[in-house]
Amino acid sequence: MSRPWKDLKVRYQDDLRLFGSPTLRAGLVVMVFAYLFIPVWWETFAVTRLVEGWGLTMTTLNYAGIFAIGALGLNLLTGYTGQVSLGHSVFIGVGAYFTAYAGATWGLPFWLWLPGATLLGFAVGFLIGPFALRLRGNYLVVVTLGLVFVGDHVFRNWKSVTGGNTGVSVSKASLEVGPFDFRDLTLFGHGFEKQQSFFWLIWGFVAVTALLVKNIVRTRPGRALQAVRDRDIAAEIIGIDLFRYKTMAFAISSAIAAMAGGLYGTLQAYVSPIDFGLLVAIQYIAMVILGGLGTVHGSIIGALFVGALPRVIDGLAKDYDLPGVGGDKGGLEGILSVSSLNQVIFGLLIAGFLLLEPRGIAGILARVRAYFKAWPFSY
Amino acid sequence: MIQLLQGLFDGVAMGAQYSVIVLGFVVIYRATGIINFAQGGFVLIGAYVTYNVSQTWGWNFYLALLVSILVTAGVSMVVQRILLQWVLRETVGVALLLVLWAVLYFNGWGHVPAVATAAVVGLIGYGVTRRIEQHLGTGQTKELPVFGSIMVTIGLLFVIKQIVPSIWGFSELNMGDPWGLNVTKVGGLVLSHAKLWTIGLMAAALVAFFAVNRYTKIGVAMRATHFDHEAAVAQGISLRVVFAVAFGIAGGVAALAGTTAGAGIAQLTPNLDLVVFFAFPAMILGGFDSPGGAVLGGVIIGIVQNLTKVYQPEWDLQWLGVGFDRVAVYIVMLLVLMVRPYGLFGTKEVHRV
Repeated sequence: MSRPWKDLKVRYQDDLRLFGSPTLRAGLVVMVFAYLFIPVWWETFAVTRLVEGWGLTMTTLNYAGIFAIGALGLNLLTGYTGQVSLGHSVFIGVGAYFTAYAGATWGLPFWLWLPGATLLGFAVGFLIGPFALRLRGNYLVVVTLGLVFVGDHVFRNWKSVTGGNTGVSVSKASLEVGPFDFRDLTLFGHGFEKQQSFFWLIWGFVAVTALLVKNIVRTRPGRALQAVRDRDIAAEIIGIDLFRYKTMAFAISSAIAAMAGGLYGTLQAYVSPIDFGLLVAIQYIAMVILGGLGTVHGSIIGALFVGALPRVIDGLAKDYDLPGVGGDKGGLEGILSVSSLNQVIFGLLIAGFLLLEPRGIAGILARVRAYFKAWPFSY
Repeated sequence: MIQLLQGLFDGVAMGAQYSVIVLGFVVIYRATGIINFAQGGFVLIGAYVTYNVSQTWGWNFYLALLVSILVTAGVSMVVQRILLQWVLRETVGVALLLVLWAVLYFNGWGHVPAVATAAVVGLIGYGVTRRIEQHLGTGQTKELPVFGSIMVTIGLLFVIKQIVPSIWGFSELNMGDPWGLNVTKVGGLVLSHAKLWTIGLMAAALVAFFAVNRYTKIGVAMRATHFDHEAAVAQGISLRVVFAVAFGIAGGVAALAGTTAGAGIAQLTPNLDLVVFFAFPAMILGGFDSPGGAVLGGVIIGIVQNLTKVYQPEWDLQWLGVGFDRVAVYIVMLLVLMVRPYGLFGTKEVHRV
C-alpha cells in the first residue's frame, strides 16, 4: 500500500492553510532567514555586491517594500473586489502628509501617528466608497482619476498642512517602537545604518499587511469580495450587502495605503505633491497588474519589479554605454535621456505583459508550478 | 454682463476643443469598447507634426494641418492594428522599423533616409513573418480584457510622451499659425482670432463627423458595429475596416485639437497632452458612447471651467486654491454622475446575471 501524495488535502481547512505543504514551509524558513539577515550580509556577498552595482541597493529594497504595502491594498480593491481605482496615490499622500504634520508639528510617538494615519486613510476611503456603488467599470475609472486631480489640488493648495508645491519635511516623526529606535538602531553592540534598520521596519510591516490581506481573502469576507468582483448583481441576490463590502474594500485598501504613505514619508524624509500624482497611481496599477491581479504574492513581486526596474536601468546606463541613450558614459548625445528610457521601458512592459501574459508574473509562476506538479504528465 | 459674455465665448472656444477630443474617445469607444488613453499622445503627435510641416519645412499652415491630420490618422490606425489586435507580423515590421530608425539616427543618419531604410527593412520583416506564419498556421489575433486595453494604451501614452520630446525637444515652440494674437473687438467683447478659428474648425469637424455617421455607408457600418458586433459581422461588415476607420477618425480629430491647442497665445510644449485629462469629465458628462453627448459635454465643461476661472476672484473664492477651475469640472462631473450614472446621453448598460 503506497503512501498518499505528500500534498494531499483531506479537509477544507487544509486547503486554506497558509503554509500547508513542506515546500511552502521551507519557503517560510528561507523568508524569515532572508528578512533577518539581508541587511546584515548585503554588503558581504559577491552576488549582492554585483547586483548593487546594477542599482539594486538597500534603498531600492526599502522603497519596494513600501510599494508592496501599497500594492497589497490596491490588489485587495482591484484584484479581489474588482473596483478599478486609479486614485491610490492620493491615499498614500494622505498618510504621508498626516505623518509629517502629526510627527513634526504635534510630536506624536510612533504608536500614535502610524495608527492615526491608517485611520485617516480608512475614513477618506470610506467617503469614496459609496461612489463605487453607483458607478461601474469605465465610469469608476475616470472618477478615481478625478480623485487624483482633486487630491493633487488639495496637496498643492492647503499650504499650512502640506507645504504647497514645495512639500514638507517628515524627518521629525519619531520612529521609536518600544525599545528600538529605528533612526539609530543598536543591537548586540552593532550600530546599524538607517537603510538597514528601515529594511526591518518596512518589511516587517509588509509581512503583517500580507498576512492581513491573505486572512481577509481566504475567509468569508474575502469570498464575498470575490463574488462582488465576479458578478455583483448576483452577489447581491444571494445576500451580500454591496454597500458594506464595496465601501469596506475602499476603506481598508485606503487604510493600508495611508500606512504605506506614513512609512514612505519617514523613509524619504521629504514629500511633495509630485510624489502622489498620476504617474505614481499608474505605477501602482502597473505593479498590481504585472505582479498578478488577485494574488497576494503577486503584489509583492510586482512591487519589487516596478520598484527596482528604474534604479536598475539607471545603474546599467551608468556602467554600460547603451546605444542611443545619453548617460554618464555616453555623454548627452543620445536620443533619449535615462529617465525617458525608463518611461519608455515602463510603458512597453505594461503593454507587453498585458498582451503576452495577462495574469502577470504570478500567472507565470503558477504555470511553472503546475508544470512541475503534473510532471511527468505535464502537457 | 460683458464679463459673462466674454467668459462664455472663451468657454465655448475651450469647450469646442474638448468636444473634438472627446469625440475621438467616443468614436473609438463606440466601435471597439475600449477607452484609448493614448489619445493624448495622438494630440501631441498631431500638434508637433503640424509644427514640423509648417515651420521646419515651411509649408502653408492649413496644408500643414491637413498633412498632420492624415499622418496622425495613419499612426492611430497602425497603433490599433499592432497593439490592440496584436497581429504578429505587423508588430515585427514596426518593431524593426523603430529600432533600425533609432540606431541609424544615433549613428549620424538624418531622419528621412533613416526612416526610409528602416521602412524597407520593416517591410521585409513583415513579409518574412507572414510567410512563417502561413507555414505555422498561427495567424490568430488575441482579445484583451477591457481593463487591460486601458493599461496598454496608458503604456503607449508613456512611450509617445518620451519619443515626441526626444525628436523635437522640451522647449516651447511657436506653432506659426496665421492667427497669432489678432483680435476683433465687438462691443466690449474681445474675440481672439485663434479662438474664432478654433470654434469654426471644430464645428466643421463635428458637422463632418455627423454627416459621415448619418449618411455614408461606413457611418452606418460603425453604428451597426456599436450596436452589436456579431450581428454586424453576420451582415458582412468587416470589423477590421470599422476599427481602423474609427481609430483613423480619432487620430485625425486629435491632430486638429492638438494644433489649435498649441496655437494662438498658448505655446507648443510636450505637456500638451494634459488637456486630454481635462476632457475626461466632458466624456463622462456626455456619456461614453454618444457623439452628441461629446459635443454637449465638451461645451458645458469648457464653459464651467472658464467661468470658474473668471468668477473665482470676483466672488472672493481665492481660498479654494490656484487651479480650482480644473477641480471644479471634476466636481461638476461627479454631481451629474450621481444623478445620471451613465452620463447625460450615455447608453444605460444592461447587466444580465
